[in-house]
Amino acid sequence: MYCDYCGKQATTHVKKTINGQTTELHLCPQCAAEHGFGSAFGLDLGDFWGSLFSEPTKKSIADTVRCEDCGRSFREIAELGKAGCPTCYRTFYDRLLPSIHRIHGKTQHTGKVADKADDSLKKKRELQTLREELERCITAQEYEKCAELRDKIQQLEEKGGETA
Amino acid sequence: MTKWYEKSGTDGDVVISTRIRLARNVNHVPFPAAMTSEQKEDIINKVFAAFPDENGAFSCVRMETVSPREALSMVERHLISPDFANGAGETGKALLLSPDESVSIMVGEEDHLRIQVMRAGLDFDSIYEEANCWDDFLDSRLHFAFDDRLGYLTQCPTNLGTGMRASVMLHLPALQEHGIIQQLANTVSKLGLTIRGMYGEGSRSEGALYQLSNQVTLGLTEQEAIENLKSIAGQIIKEERQYREKMRSLPAFEDRVFRALGVLQNARLLSGKEFMSLVSQVRMGIALGMIPNGNLDRINRLIIEAQAANILCRAEQDLDAAARDSHRAAFVRDNIIC
Ligand SMILES: [Zn+2]
Ligand SMILES: [Zn+2]
Repeated sequence: MYCDYCGKQATTHVKKTINGQTTELHLCPQCAAEHGFGSAFGLDLGDFWGSLFSEPTKKSIADTVRCEDCGRSFREIAELGKAGCPTCYRTFYDRLLPSIHRIHGKTQHTGKVADKADDSLKKKRELQTLREELERCITAQEYEKCAELRDKIQQLEEKGGETA
Repeated sequence: MTKWYEKSGTDGDVVISTRIRLARNVNHVPFPAAMTSEQKEDIINKVFAAFPDENGAFSCVRMETVSPREALSMVERHLISPDFANGAGETGKALLLSPDESVSIMVGEEDHLRIQVMRAGLDFDSIYEEANCWDDFLDSRLHFAFDDRLGYLTQCPTNLGTGMRASVMLHLPALQEHGIIQQLANTVSKLGLTIRGMYGEGSRSEGALYQLSNQVTLGLTEQEAIENLKSIAGQIIKEERQYREKMRSLPAFEDRVFRALGVLQNARLLSGKEFMSLVSQVRMGIALGMIPNGNLDRINRLIIEAQAANILCRAEQDLDAAARDSHRAAFVRDNIIC
């Protein structure tokens, strides 16, 4: 699919219905940004999200799986532009990811970790910080601190933080 | 108890207030749009139970007990969103409010919980710390939905990740007058921020009040988002001050400020729109030290208290437009300068 405006590879597909006449718009990232579709800014997301997934090939597989917590299908989520419950994100993770990436430009959370969240993530983060600190100490030749950090890292790894 | 908006804060010449809002949801419960009324009741009860009387004296309000007038006055005080106010009189929505109104928790808005902390002036660090504390406190009782990859899970994908919307309310009369706001909006949008009118989403800017906030919530930490916002806000504040300095020496500007003050001190009828445009000029005059006895705290408070629904709430009745404008004019006359 190529961009309707400039002919480059299109990545954004928008469906518009005016007076019952449905037209589809295919846009490359630059043209999409210019028309307010390239980012989440100032954009009717419900419409955007829905149109993203309403291509015929995806429609056929969409309804077979339903979220076990709220019963919503992927198609319903796409049409509403809203997840039905937290579990929807886990159930349809792979299929939601492209539009999540489109909205945020990233797909991996790096901020605060919820208390009851998987402990392994907290450990992973902690290990990462310790390793960075260790590297810094090695460069700075602070050997006493290095030994201390190595012990800490070893302790954390033994607790199973590395298995994730 | 003094309300948070009754005093001005750091960089108060340009910054009205700072706000942080966290979107949070409970695991294995549908998001508000898909909830049954029993599920809504259940969440409200769980949140209320976390705030027994002895705990901080939060008021717990069910929105079905709130009149549309009161609900709108809460929007004007930035305690709730316009969408949430539309649900006044409906069951399934509730609000928790600290005595100074600086902490508000909406239950059953777009997400199960919206935890919001506000403060006068530019003050991201301390309000994030406070929002973070309430988040931990509520998480320990309700267990928020979280995913290793996507962070906090929210009804709308635009809030995934930190679920955090941080914003700062700026008074930008000089930049507005010089036609720089649109250019500013284009620039900040490239940096993952957005700038819009006083009451957020889709609202027009009255009185040159603009809200600058982060757009992206996934893939950067709360601290990174806040630092980003702080540095852009800092640059905007600097620009606004430079333009104000240029205007200060113009006789026509001084004339305009004092004419605006004259109208506010003497008018018998004031529409909301006229009030906002005049008070904006007076506020800039006070910030530049042009008006003796001028006081930013008083003006900030007046801007909120002279809004339509706040007037109706004080009058304890619905008024037609002319009566409301008359009430507004009287209130402004009494409160503009001591
Ligand atoms: Zn193109
Ligand atoms: Zn679901």
